[in-house]
Amino acid sequence: MFSETGKTKMRSAAWRVSMWGALAFAFGTMVLFVFLHGFVSNDIQRRSDAWLSGEVEVLADVAERTPKDALYGRVVKEVAELASKEVPDRQKSDDALNNSVFFLQLAPDGSQALWVGEGDGSLHLNAIRSTKMAPDIPSDIRVTGHEIPFRVVSDRLQNGSLIYLGLSERDELRVLRNLRLRFVLIWLLIVSFGAAIVFYTTRRMLGHVRRITEAASRIGESDLSSRVPTTRRRDEVAHLAFTLNRMLDRIENSVHQLHTITDSLAHDLRSPLTAVRAKLEMSLTMGVRGEDSESIVSAIEEIDRLTEFLNKSLDVAEAKADALRLERVEIDLNEVLKVMVDLYEPSLFEQGLQIRLLSGEPAVISADAALVHRMISNLFDNELKHLRPTSTVTVSLHSFDGSALLVVEDDGPGFAREVLPSIFKSRAKGPNSNGRGLGLAFVEAVVRAHNGMIEASRSEAGGARIAIVLPLAHAEQRAMDVVEMTFE
Amino acid sequence: MLEHQSMRLLLVEDEVEIQGFLKRSLTEAGYQVDAAGDGKSAERLAVEGQYDALIVDLGLPDQDGITLILKLRELGVTVPVLILSARRSVDDRVRGLEQGGDDYLTKPFALAELLARLRNLLKRNSSSSAEATRIRVLDLELDLLRREASRGKEMLNLTPQEFVLLEYLCRNAGRVVTRSMILDQVWGMRIQPDTNVVDVHIYRLRGKVDLDGYRPLIRTLRGVGYVLRDR
Repeated sequence: MFSETGKTKMRSAAWRVSMWGALAFAFGTMVLFVFLHGFVSNDIQRRSDAWLSGEVEVLADVAERTPKDALYGRVVKEVAELASKEVPDRQKSDDALNNSVFFLQLAPDGSQALWVGEGDGSLHLNAIRSTKMAPDIPSDIRVTGHEIPFRVVSDRLQNGSLIYLGLSERDELRVLRNLRLRFVLIWLLIVSFGAAIVFYTTRRMLGHVRRITEAASRIGESDLSSRVPTTRRRDEVAHLAFTLNRMLDRIENSVHQLHTITDSLAHDLRSPLTAVRAKLEMSLTMGVRGEDSESIVSAIEEIDRLTEFLNKSLDVAEAKADALRLERVEIDLNEVLKVMVDLYEPSLFEQGLQIRLLSGEPAVISADAALVHRMISNLFDNELKHLRPTSTVTVSLHSFDGSALLVVEDDGPGFAREVLPSIFKSRAKGPNSNGRGLGLAFVEAVVRAHNGMIEASRSEAGGARIAIVLPLAHAEQRAMDVVEMTFE
Repeated sequence: MLEHQSMRLLLVEDEVEIQGFLKRSLTEAGYQVDAAGDGKSAERLAVEGQYDALIVDLGLPDQDGITLILKLRELGVTVPVLILSARRSVDDRVRGLEQGGDDYLTKPFALAELLARLRNLLKRNSSSSAEATRIRVLDLELDLLRREASRGKEMLNLTPQEFVLLEYLCRNAGRVVTRSMILDQVWGMRIQPDTNVVDVHIYRLRGKVDLDGYRPLIRTLRGVGYVLRDR
């Protein structure tokens, strides 16, 4: 169950929104940081270069003025050491000598005259010699044994000797590394925190949307009286709920209007029909004989047919407006078909027709039993009315993918080509039909009211074929569950 | 036919023609019938008189039929009600009443059906005796346990479905049953086929029951339905 919930969370829009939001935010801040990093590192470089240039001038000055005696080395060394203590961004170290700075003086003949720094300076000298350097312009020197390059600036004294002042870029790089490290930590924290906040707020907001969707899907066909939940806030979601409810008001109103019209129409027609039928029945019981009784009987039959026609027309009208009132119960289509075939078999037989029922397992649908019964009886009536003797009607029922497929087909003449496109419209009839053309329109109306599909085509044997797909009761339930889970 | 001599009915129907027809037909069927044309007088009559059942039309001029029934129930009138309606949809309140033991009939209806429903209501009310295991109508005999039927000394070779149909006719022997009643009671379907499916079943049954040399029992009343002779 846990993994299910996990999966549904992954499917939620909140997850996507927070993912993309966090990604965009992370990318943006990263670009900003790269820019800042470049700026900061340039600035540090500039500052250290300025320091180097200043110091090398001071040193050159000192070297120039100090007499070249035994003290010369010590004086310059001390000045160099002092300078090294003023290194910008200097890391505190216990070493007396700062190993991040070196000072090198070359005699005019190119030999090492003075060395202040770590080691004996030969490595540094080699590195300097192998690099072309312009005087007064700081450049990077890589010294063997040191991972981090030195920033070195040179100056030429009047006596032709060269002095070099080198500063390790270690401290500078450390500062930048610290900056990067802190940024990445804070960046990760902000991004994940932001993503979490976005995820939960979006989820909360979408929770309202989900509740609206759930309520709206429950409202569906028959129950138009309930409304989607509203919130007290005045945001887009509240507006959506409000708009949906207003729309439902209008739909309920027009459906109600339609029901009122069909009800009063039914009432206004049925009352006089009742009176007429009663009178006819009365005269029949009063002992009318012969031809008169014949016409009374056929009048009664006409009235019954008219009543059924009225019911069907109103059903079709309501179904067209998706306003057919259903009283759903669970029915097994297989059972209904068995009973129906049993009911129709003798009549079909009398007309020289055969019927085969290909069905085995139960197919339970949630449907209005009376409407489904009338639907199937309409299909069978159609066969009975239109087929010529020696034809065979094949009725098959299969369940697949949560749906029941009911096919009624025959090997008769089939639907006339010209009526096939409009076969489910009321008053569509074949050239030889003597019905009122409501039968298949009614069948389609019932299928539609139960969220099914219907198709008329030519059967393999060249006759008529009607295929009906209706959702199975438990499949519908499962589909609902999936929807619920998706919005979890 | 006067089997309900003691039964008193209150008919509440505003349309004069239907009221007249029903009153007359019900009286002929052996009931004592009082009629009311509106809710108010119906209420007075129902409370004062001792009726065995009410027949109430839903579309009354002064009030809704259901309101009247609910009011009567509150006033302590507990007799069963047969509701007549020309409306299309069945009100939820009607459904409630239906579950409470009342019945519902849509207009237009066949008189035979109204009488059958009424009989059922009254039977339900008077808690009938235990189910019989055999039914006998003239020389026709049905063994309900062994699902066997015989005419005189001859066993009838019926399919299970034909037996159920014959049983239904026998239980209503002497009374008219309509095609819709047969479809509803025998096949459990409330349908109105515009083909002769029921007639063919009856025709086949007649071929097996009304054997040569015996008096035909199954009569067709054209325009109305069928009746199994009991006299």
